[in-house]
Amino acid sequence: MATNTPEEMLQEARKLIGWETEPVPSRYPVEYDPIRRYCHMVGDDNPLFMDPEHAANARYGSVIAPPFFIRQTSGPGPWPPRSQEIPTASGRVLSPGDRNIVLNTEFELLKPVKVGDRISQTQRLVDVYIKPIRLDPKTFWLVNETIFRNQDDEVVATMRNTMVRHRTPEQVKAAGDAEA
Amino acid sequence: MADKTPEDILEDARKFIGIESQTVASRYAVEYDPIRRYCHMVDDDNPLFLDPEYAATTEFGSVVAPPFFIRQTAGPGPWPPRTEEVPGVLAQVPSPGDRTINLNTEFECYKPIKVGDRISHKQRLVDIYIKAIRLDPKSFWTVYDTIYTNQDGEVVLVMRNTLCRHRTPEEVKAAGDAPETSSS
Amino acid sequence: MDETMTTEAKREQRYWDDVNEGDEVPGFERPVTPTQIALQVSGSQDFYEVHHDQEFARAGGHPDIFVNTGFTTACFGRLLSSFVGEAGWVKKFHMEMRRMNHPGDVMKLTGKVIRKYTEGDEHLLELEIWSENERIGVTTPSTATVLLPSRRQATS
Repeated sequence: MATNTPEEMLQEARKLIGWETEPVPSRYPVEYDPIRRYCHMVGDDNPLFMDPEHAANARYGSVIAPPFFIRQTSGPGPWPPRSQEIPTASGRVLSPGDRNIVLNTEFELLKPVKVGDRISQTQRLVDVYIKPIRLDPKTFWLVNETIFRNQDDEVVATMRNTMVRHRTPEQVKAAGDAEA
Repeated sequence: MADKTPEDILEDARKFIGIESQTVASRYAVEYDPIRRYCHMVDDDNPLFLDPEYAATTEFGSVVAPPFFIRQTAGPGPWPPRTEEVPGVLAQVPSPGDRTINLNTEFECYKPIKVGDRISHKQRLVDIYIKAIRLDPKSFWTVYDTIYTNQDGEVVLVMRNTLCRHRTPEEVKAAGDAPETSSS
Repeated sequence: MDETMTTEAKREQRYWDDVNEGDEVPGFERPVTPTQIALQVSGSQDFYEVHHDQEFARAGGHPDIFVNTGFTTACFGRLLSSFVGEAGWVKKFHMEMRRMNHPGDVMKLTGKVIRKYTEGDEHLLELEIWSENERIGVTTPSTATVLLPSRRQATS
């Protein structure tokens, strides 16, 4: 195929650096049950996250979400299918491969997220570059930032993610990019 | 072991027929997200279950739960661990095996269940008998009702379940109850 | 079924004054079992097949499925929120998914206090925290900045 080379694709991708999406609202408010499932996943039985009665008498007056939970709950979520595509910064980056691995994750937590909060998020592409990994010598590395805001337009958290996007071994072979 | 025979155990078990468990409240009200996950499980994109804006325009006025959803959501749920055990009827009914397979399920639906509803339930043992399955010639077939009520005390749904409780092949062998090998 | 219900059984508030550099951050273990993979999908709502479909993972060049960022992040969230208690706050977190955890691995999360300091009226700690397994050692080196209450503030 006479498609663009990884380097040409990178050149296009780098034009998106700094571009920020519109705020994407969450479909539903923060609810008890997704927090409960999140805690169940890691065996966390902290009543601050699960017990409305306990939380009512504790510091925040109501159940709050565990740290980093917001990543799972904000945005439109995995179901139902969206009638229109939600723009993401990384989604606009065209790259040779479409296999993703998330590497570094950073959070800054500024405000508690409570049950009932309505969270929206915006995304920004911070950086994109090529760096080999074992699986693909032309792996795209993407650095994204997500800013989470509540219903009062307060920033409650920011997240910075470094993600690699690589080709399958078959695709690497087909492209003639022998492993480095 | 000089344990009781399955038939002895059945006699004990049948004493529970008609007995009702105490009422168990759900930990949380019915919420959007568990409904969304339930729909996702079966690729259901019905906006009545998923879209608050759409649901507001229907005769229900708000998002309702899909039929049978309640079974997954009522009660204290799988997490966190309970500090006190809530005695369900089934847990009290003895049987030789503790492996279960759910067989028949029947629902009778009386009222819509909406986001925000607080659902409680109780159980009632209806019948219990021995019937062979391939894995265990002395399987206990257990029929029980679960009665669901909302915050106004209205019965919204009744579920009748037939559950087969069987032993593992090892337990069957240890008890000397070889499953029938020839075709019956 | 769950082996991890012990560490947080007692939830005493930890105070900044009582913590020293070098102190351990009490941790817990999560074995990567089929049930844990089911919990991962339920809890993180991440349906990317590389985290639950072995064939898909292998076609992508991996030896097996591997646990996702959402689950790993949540593990550290539990570690940190248990450490800071209800009067504390997790301010910053940085995590590097350097090596993978596959089915059969037991993820062990733990850490230590590397710096104790104040900034304005905030009583802070810098923590080095990580996940390790027997096969590799440290897979996921991470750091966090947390705020703890001070006994002085509590009594003033």
